[in-house]
Order: sequence, then structure tokens, then C-alpha cells
Amino acid sequence: MVLNMLKQRKIPEPKPLFLERMQKLFQNKKDFKNYLEILKHKPVKSIRCNTLKISPEKLKKKLEVYGWKIIQPWKTNPEVMIVDTELEPGELGRSLEHLLGYYYIQELASMLPVIALEPKQGEKILDLCSAPGSKTTQIAAKMQNTGFIIANEISLGRIKILASNLERCGVTNTIITKKEGAALCKRFKKQDLKFDKILIDTPCSGEGTLRSKYKTYIMWNIKTIKSLPKIQFNLFKNAFEILKIGGEIIYSTCTHAPEENEGVVNRILEEFKDRIKIQKIKIPIKSRQGITKWESNKYNPKVKSTCRIYPQDNNTEGFFLAKFKKIK
Amino acid sequence: MKTQKYKILNSKEKKEIENKLKNQFGIKKIPGIILQKGAERLFLFQGELNLKQIREIEDNVPIERIGVYFAKQVQDSVRLSIEGVHLLKNQITKNIIELNEKDAKTWMYGSEVDIKTGKKCFVIIKHKDYFLGCEKASEKKISNYVPKSRRLKNKNILE
Repeated sequence: MVLNMLKQRKIPEPKPLFLERMQKLFQNKKDFKNYLEILKHKPVKSIRCNTLKISPEKLKKKLEVYGWKIIQPWKTNPEVMIVDTELEPGELGRSLEHLLGYYYIQELASMLPVIALEPKQGEKILDLCSAPGSKTTQIAAKMQNTGFIIANEISLGRIKILASNLERCGVTNTIITKKEGAALCKRFKKQDLKFDKILIDTPCSGEGTLRSKYKTYIMWNIKTIKSLPKIQFNLFKNAFEILKIGGEIIYSTCTHAPEENEGVVNRILEEFKDRIKIQKIKIPIKSRQGITKWESNKYNPKVKSTCRIYPQDNNTEGFFLAKFKKIK
Repeated sequence: MKTQKYKILNSKEKKEIENKLKNQFGIKKIPGIILQKGAERLFLFQGELNLKQIREIEDNVPIERIGVYFAKQVQDSVRLSIEGVHLLKNQITKNIIELNEKDAKTWMYGSEVDIKTGKKCFVIIKHKDYFLGCEKASEKKISNYVPKSRRLKNKNILE
């Protein structure tokens, strides 16, 4: 299934320091080679059935009428679909079913944070960095428009895209706020508004998106990687204060950089000590445990409970997930 | 003084909207809170927050959107948005115009449909089990205000 979906294309030259870091991360030569190889191939065309509007069975039948071959790769998540057919550029977004909000075009790995968050009906959920809305619409579908979601975004331009996606998908349980994430949490703390679950799909250096976004090759720089953890930790620290006791947080990035992943998780464990517990994550694809050493840094062994998603393991983009529970 | 962008309709105002939708389409009840932005646009929020809680959030942080845009007040009538039609489709019992495939395509490309409906009111546009929207019908045609972002662009996609 995987091999026939691989479509090779020309990619920009990765920066030497990026390659050096990735090689250090993989250690195993064959693994590194497989990683570089898969970057040359387009990611698969994946969609998520919007169960607020239609069942996966009905959607599959409708899309098959176009001659599209639909694969449901994860038994536990029938809403997740791969379109295994050669399509014209943009065709996936032009079907009647897409225009009516029956499905959302979403990369497979990008669906994992919400699967790990396990939203339930009636819960109060905060999606702290929510644009363009792929994960917010996924949460709303899991909740069947019950409970409520606060979907926050700082950029007005991105809010327009977020609002448009929420509308197309028929999301009625969500309030969109425009505020810097940490400041938003401080306001909610003052108001004593607390959440059952929080998703922090944090801004990151985006190394995991190289297969679909060429510009990441050009924009990649080590300064960004060194400066982001402060922002990422600050978002988490403030979000933690408005999480209910017993509530859960998913911290996710679409990067492989340990500074933004295990480095931040390590700092979270140091800061919150016995107030927090790192959780095992249930996701339907192969993942690797978090690393405990990077350059001169040694991390808390508990960071092994985090998940590294590598493109070569499942033919997806790259991702990182950590799940926490608030104990006190 | 802080201005509130959204006006939450009280029960009397909500009832007025429900009555109009009942007359127009047979819709009996709108589940959720209706909010108004500007003079015409109506939003539907179905989350589990009461009016007081919404106001508290609004007083603390800038809100860009509450719920989904579901209808617009046009003179004495209500025009449902595509989402409004989808959300309330199970209650819609009248003024439904079922288009054939050719007319459905014309409609979804953003053009008027020349069809004798014999009606002079807002109608629900349907093709097979697809609810496509709500639009004003005159006796000989149905006008078209499908937003550009929701129009078909590929002529083969319905074939």
C-alpha cells in the first residue's frame, strides 16, 4: 500500500546543519537513509470524514463514485481515509463533498494529537493555537458539538481561515478568541474558567512538514529552534494553571528538534514535579519513544513516554506528542 | 464603554426567528443560542455555556466568532446559510426545490437557475440527498448568492 503511493519529486537542498542534526538523531545509518529517501516523496492524500455531517461509510461510497480509491488505514478510526488515486492538483478540495464540509483535508500525522487527547462529549476543551482549524474541527466532531471549545488564535489572517473551516464543517460548539496564548490563559485564570482538556499544538520550527512544505527547507534555521522553547514552555505553563485537577494536556509539535520536544517536556517535569504526571499515549501508528540525551543535555527518563513520529515509519509527516495529567 | 459585537437574542426575539422559519420551511425549533452580529447576520451556538458564561468570556477576551453563521435576516424573511440548511435539514418540510443534475451543477458554479418554481420566496435547494443551500426564487428563476469559496470550480466533479 505504502510503496505505490510514493511519488518522487525534486526537493530543495537541505541545510548542512539540519542534516547533521538529523543524522545525530537517527544514529542508525539505514534509518537516516530511509528518512532522507522519504523526504523526496509526496505525502499521501489523506482526508478526515466530518462525522458531524456524514458517516464514514456514506462518504466512502460517495467518493468512490468519482473513481477514487478510498483506503481506511486505521481500524480504530474509520473517519481517517487515504485517497489512493492520482488526482489533479487541488482536485481534493474542489469536490462537492468538500465544499459541503463532508470531509477535511488533513495530513495523517496531524490527526494524532486529537486522537491522543481523546475528547469526550460534554467536555470543556481549549485549543490554544487553533488555526487553521484541522484539529478544532476534529475535536468538535469527536464531541458531536456538545460541551464547548475555545479555539484561540493570535493572527487575524489565520482566524479568517479558522472561522471559514469551522463554518464549512458545521462546528456550533466553539468560540473563537484572538489573544496571545499565555495572556489568554492568564485572563481565564482570573475569570476562574477551567478546562477538562487542553491542546497545545504549539508554534514550532516545522521540520516534520518538509514533505508537504518546501519553504521549511529554506526557512529552517538553528536560531528559531533555540528561541522557540521559551515560548513553548510559557504557553504550557500558563495553560496548566487553567486545567482542572485530573484534566489532561496534549503538547504537540510538527518538528523533530529535541530542544522543542523533550527539552520542553523535561522543563515541564522539573517545573511541576508532583503536580503533573506524564501519560502513555494511544495512537494507531508506529511511534518511537522520546530521547533522553541530546547534545550536552540529559533529560528525565520519563520523557520516554512521549512519542516521536517519523515520516519513514508510517509514510506520514513528522510529529511529536506528549500527554500530561494534572494531579494537583 | 466596551461595545459588544454579538447581541444574544432573548427568548422573544428567538421565537420571532423560529416563527419565520416555521412559516417559510416548516422548521419548528432552533436548538441553541442565537446571536446577532450587525443588523442582519445570525449565528447559532450549541455549546454548553449559558448567556452569563458567554458574557463573562466576552468581557475578558476578544471574541472573534461564536458558533456558526446560520442565517441572515432579509426584510421580513430569513435566508438560511448553507450551514443553517445542514443544521436544520431534518426539520425542513416545505419550499424545497429539487434540482436535476444539470441545474444543480449550474447552481453550484454560482449561476442563476432558470426554472419555473411558481414561488416568490426563499427556497431550499436540494439535489439527491445533498442540501445545497437556500435562495430567493422568483416565478421563473432561482437567484444565486453561493459564496465564491463554496462554489464548484471543476466542471467534471459532479459527473
